[in-house]
Amino acid sequence: MRKLLIVLSVVLGIVFILGISACSTYNGLINKQQAVDSSWAQVQTVYQRRADLIPNLVQAVSGAANFEKSTLTAVTDARASVGKVTIDANNAPAEAAKLEEYQRAQGQLTSALSHLLSIVENYPNLKSNQSFLEFQAQLEGTENRISVERGRFNAAVQDYNASIKRFPGVLFAGPMGFSAKPYFTATTEAQSAPAVHFDFGTPPAK
Amino acid sequence: MRYPRILLFLLIILTAALRATPARAAEIIPPSPKPHYIVDEAHVLPGSTLTAIDRQLEDFERTTSNQIVVAVYPHMQSDDSIAAYAVRMFQAWKIGQKSKNNGVLLLVFIDDRKMNITPGYGLEGALPDATCKAIIEKEIKPHFKTGDYDGGVRAGVNAIISATKGEYKGNNFTIGDAAFGFLICAFVIAAIVGCIVLQSYRGTIYNNRGNSLWWTLLWMMANSSSGSGSSGGWSSGGGGGFSGGGGSTGGGGASGSW
Repeated sequence: MRKLLIVLSVVLGIVFILGISACSTYNGLINKQQAVDSSWAQVQTVYQRRADLIPNLVQAVSGAANFEKSTLTAVTDARASVGKVTIDANNAPAEAAKLEEYQRAQGQLTSALSHLLSIVENYPNLKSNQSFLEFQAQLEGTENRISVERGRFNAAVQDYNASIKRFPGVLFAGPMGFSAKPYFTATTEAQSAPAVHFDFGTPPAK
Repeated sequence: MRYPRILLFLLIILTAALRATPARAAEIIPPSPKPHYIVDEAHVLPGSTLTAIDRQLEDFERTTSNQIVVAVYPHMQSDDSIAAYAVRMFQAWKIGQKSKNNGVLLLVFIDDRKMNITPGYGLEGALPDATCKAIIEKEIKPHFKTGDYDGGVRAGVNAIISATKGEYKGNNFTIGDAAFGFLICAFVIAAIVGCIVLQSYRGTIYNNRGNSLWWTLLWMMANSSSGSGSSGGWSSGGGGGFSGGGGSTGGGGASGSW
């Protein structure tokens, strides 16, 4: 009888410890998942900020005489195609393919914008136009914000993914429904952010 | 008696190994200039300007709780863009109050001829990107182009102050004051606790010797803390001054070159 009691209490002890461990692991993973989702929402916010700048920028530029229509159309089309990518703003993408699709659409917008800004150099009246210069400053600031938030998103995803793959998360993650999330990767478009300085009076800094 | 020595030897090796961090890719962010609000490692600004701006920015923190930090270096120790580097420096130095995120960093690299203004989240309304760009182009750049770094930095600081003046209210102290006060309290409490423990442990015979030992230790600690308070170079006004409040930035602001 006594032996049975001892065995029973040991088994109960093990179950109890496992239970506590599962609870705290689950809570930890939920916290990290929320951090990833919140970071994703920040990324959305800054990308949206850029998208909101576009119509005014296009208007300021199209006011300049004879501006290349094709460049402006490319920018407006790229912005429209970004809007077409269906993305869940509240949850970070679970599959790499979805994130890549989103990233590609944003990347197209980035290239269209760089192309537009590089062409503006040929239009002297636009280069000195006050409202255009303001939009250019806002665009540069927004591109910086985008890269900061992407970096923070990647850091949050790394933290989450590591917790899922480490012990004891690795035991509980699968059954509890936590799966690894994809990262933002560097794309060729993303590497040339539209930051152009119209400084023709001084030699380029090296 | 061999064993303690071996243990000590192992301990030294272990701590040395733990402290030796692997070298990361190129980037170096210099340490925060606390308790000063301005640092000039390029030595282009006269001492009078450094003192005046330091005082100006300390007063600004007292009246508005905004923390403006000016950093002038010869060369950026990074392969990244100045805007991205400025964000990392801002985060490392924790500029701005934690609850308000009301910090601003004015960063200048003299040899690279590049500068950047980065506001914290809380001051993005007062210092939107276009305003930062305007301050760089219209206030600072004209001076810098003629080599007048003194005038440029002063003009930039004044412009940032007037843009952010109405944003938050201060209550006449700086984070540095609070940090310093906390340190003093901690030492006093430690000394009192130490005396109590010593009295009860050593008994009445050693009373006088125990007390004087603790007071000596306290005096030494207080001296070393005030010594570490003033930074190298020129003296500060004892206690207070700049100390990072834990503020954050999301990027934004503007960069420029001359």
